[in-house]
Amino acid sequence: MKSLSGEKPYKILVVDDEVDLEPLMLQRMRRKIRSGMYSFVFAHNGVEALAKLSEDDEIDMVLSDINMPQMDGLTLLDQIPKVDPNIRSVIISAYGDMKNIRTAMNRGAFDFVTKPLDFEDLQVTIDRTLRHLVEWREALSSRDKLVALQNELDVASQMQRSILPTLFPRGDGFDIFGDMEPARNVGGDFFDVLRLEGGKVGLAVADVSDKGVPAALFMMSSRTLLKGSAIGNLEPGRVLTEVNDLLIEDNEASMFVTLLYAVYDSATRQLTYANGGHNTPVVFHADGTTTMLPLTGGIALGVAPEMQFEQKTVTITPGDTVVFYTDGVTEAMDASYEEFGNDRLLNIFKGGSFPDSAAEVNREVFDAVHDFVGDTPQSDDITCLTLFTK
Amino acid sequence: MAVNSERQNGTLIARVDGRVDGSNAREFQTALESSIDSGDRIVVLDLEQLSYISSAGLRVILMVAKTLQRQGAKFAVCSLSTSIREVFEISGFDRIISVNASQEEAISAFKDS
Repeated sequence: MKSLSGEKPYKILVVDDEVDLEPLMLQRMRRKIRSGMYSFVFAHNGVEALAKLSEDDEIDMVLSDINMPQMDGLTLLDQIPKVDPNIRSVIISAYGDMKNIRTAMNRGAFDFVTKPLDFEDLQVTIDRTLRHLVEWREALSSRDKLVALQNELDVASQMQRSILPTLFPRGDGFDIFGDMEPARNVGGDFFDVLRLEGGKVGLAVADVSDKGVPAALFMMSSRTLLKGSAIGNLEPGRVLTEVNDLLIEDNEASMFVTLLYAVYDSATRQLTYANGGHNTPVVFHADGTTTMLPLTGGIALGVAPEMQFEQKTVTITPGDTVVFYTDGVTEAMDASYEEFGNDRLLNIFKGGSFPDSAAEVNREVFDAVHDFVGDTPQSDDITCLTLFTK
Repeated sequence: MAVNSERQNGTLIARVDGRVDGSNAREFQTALESSIDSGDRIVVLDLEQLSYISSAGLRVILMVAKTLQRQGAKFAVCSLSTSIREVFEISGFDRIISVNASQEEAISAFKDS
């Protein structure tokens, strides 16, 4: 693995016909360049980019605009695997341009960022892409040593891990923390935290119905479609309708994903959510009571076309904490096949003092599940995402 | 996990016993699909003895329901325990798959329609 250890920096090819981007990128990424993490090469259209890729086999990832003269970014995406199938690409798209984002994902883009470029978000995206690349290469290099099925599941679980966020936004009066504990070789949980316009935050927790590489690909496309849809749209119900309709195209294998998506506005303290067949989040209230968020109905995504998803808004009182989770928490089983269940979840903090950060709430949920199951092998992924307020 | 089936007056009744999760969903799929003939017009899946189903198991039921729908056949589930019913309700599957209290209710609902 490269970086920080005196080895070569990751080489990123930036493709954009706007000449201003080059000095701006070098300026904004100067710390990463100076510390030896990244190095950049530039091209101004797809043809130039392909020439650079053919003559320089050290390029790790491509960051490309879509609209360019001679060869556009979408055509370039088709060509990159012919030069090197292990290069990962990130697309720069117009805000809310789902059509092009979707085409780019279908052509193998790993992720996308929107214009105008937010360099902080870009850095997070680049880091995530490079992390994915490292894990992918490790999976490839260990492939020969393992039987095919085991390897396929390893690749899938590395893909799953690589899309999870590791940095969480915190703001005035709230913080967020999420974690996923994968079961051995099964399960398909993921979660995401999105920075939206006006300081709002999108929170998603999801469970894909199958395991293996096809399910991991379905998971990645669910996550990307959600991000793409959420960025241009602050109504969770409409976001789920859009993601559902996009997932349902070419879903021969009848895969589906249960997904709870919420938008939190810390200015108004309002949490608006819609539910695609997922477990309802728990609210630990400031006054010590505990409730489940009211049901909104809604079916898992990828099952039936043109579904409407009702959304509800609740006001979060200072001191309330919302815990999003997957059925890996409530259906965790002990040796006698008893489930952890909703009641144990609702009563986790009964009789003790309430934690004072999202990370601690999260940890206590995991601890309670671990204590309950004891040595019984984990049969499903366990995911918990906490919105803590004060 | 086991699937047993029988035909009664032109209706296929399939019963699932035990647990269906990620580790045996493929097995469940094979067992269920092989118990259904292309000529079956009404298929009822009795879940009374099903103790647990994960989303991988739900996916198998969804695939079977879609296949039967394409063939113009009817499909329903029946006799769900409280916890299995909850799984159907939370996932929203009860909105696209007919859920009935008993085999008789499932069959008569089809005969009436």
